[in-house]
Amino acid sequence: MRTEYTQTALQIIRSYDGPPVRIMEVCGTHTHEIFRLGIRQILPSQVDVISGPGCPVCVTPVGYIDEAVWLALEKGVTICTFGDLVRVPGSTLSLAGARSRGAHVEIVYSPLDAYDYARQHRDEEIVFLSVGFETTTPPSCLAVRNARRDSVTNFSLLTANKTMPRAYEAMKDSADAFLYPGHVCAVMGTGDCEAMVQQGVSGVVAGFTAKELMTAFAVILKKIQKGEPFFKNCYPRVVTREGSRTAKELMADVMEPCDAEWRGLGCIPQSGLQLRPAYAAWDARKKYGIPLIEGRANPACRCGDILQGKCKPPQCPLFGTVCTPEQPVGACMVSHEGACSAYYTYGGNIR
Amino acid sequence: MCVGLPARVVKVHQGMALVDASGAKREVSAELLDELDPGDYVMVHAGMAIARINGDDEEEMDDILEDLD
Repeated sequence: MRTEYTQTALQIIRSYDGPPVRIMEVCGTHTHEIFRLGIRQILPSQVDVISGPGCPVCVTPVGYIDEAVWLALEKGVTICTFGDLVRVPGSTLSLAGARSRGAHVEIVYSPLDAYDYARQHRDEEIVFLSVGFETTTPPSCLAVRNARRDSVTNFSLLTANKTMPRAYEAMKDSADAFLYPGHVCAVMGTGDCEAMVQQGVSGVVAGFTAKELMTAFAVILKKIQKGEPFFKNCYPRVVTREGSRTAKELMADVMEPCDAEWRGLGCIPQSGLQLRPAYAAWDARKKYGIPLIEGRANPACRCGDILQGKCKPPQCPLFGTVCTPEQPVGACMVSHEGACSAYYTYGGNIR
Repeated sequence: MCVGLPARVVKVHQGMALVDASGAKREVSAELLDELDPGDYVMVHAGMAIARINGDDEEEMDDILEDLD
């Protein structure tokens, strides 16, 4: 029951009259829901929302697409992938382009579906494009662990899995407070976010409904006025302090930290995950001896600056003209979760 | 790809759960969650139930705002 003393989230947000605040969300679903629900319009003008590196497709480097295209065209493997990777431009070809040259590309909803496909097509070599953060990594790990258990050898992963904590650290000067990704925290718990307070970085874990997002913004705008770094879990119906022990054990069993390249941000040490040596036979890079490929992005594309909050999508010279959801140049326009796609889709609502 | 889907558990069998997300049904892995029962609500990511959902967002919002100052 709401008491008469409790201010509503809307009142707190509307009455904010403190200094300028930059709030960075690092989750593609947050990007879209904040636009879709019209939350940007109710924020006071001194509150800026930045879409940080939270969309896994957007932060996947061009060279990774090139590796997948090489596997499909040179090795003739069947690529199983989440749908949003298919149209991401590589240096010369996207996977859609490779498919028009005869590559076999299957779209799946889950790595477990890719594994089932491999079991049902033992005469094909299947590579699953394993991108994603801590939310999507557990099913990838489960798929490859099952493959090892079942001695299924026509299945492997091309890994580009990433972990969020190093990205929070890398982005901490670009924001005054983070809207931490609810489902990454559901898996990992809140320890990494709480630890950021010691570095002077504030943030709240946010859910995805209108009530949850409004609450998260209200908590940030209320607490930030006190001038001290803070942390609050605003999504306790799903996120616990410990997270999922089973998921963390599964990931630690199958994968180990490695340096990882983030599109636009460069290499962030120990921010990626690769398969442990025990799983070398299911590691596509080792299995097929993929050569070192250096990807070349379109030099005019400003995805990297957008992911760091250095500019907004409409400030990119390609946005909405050369680069559209139908003909995307940068990954942030390809993925439905990307900032450019959101700005384009909700064009009338931006500011 | 990275979209969490809330869903109701319909049936649990050998580490898999049949879930119902607003009418759409499919099997997902239930290996991360112990003691899942029909009727429970879970958050599904890429074919795997990653967390249990406890309560609704209305109650959650009221608790957090009441606790705010």
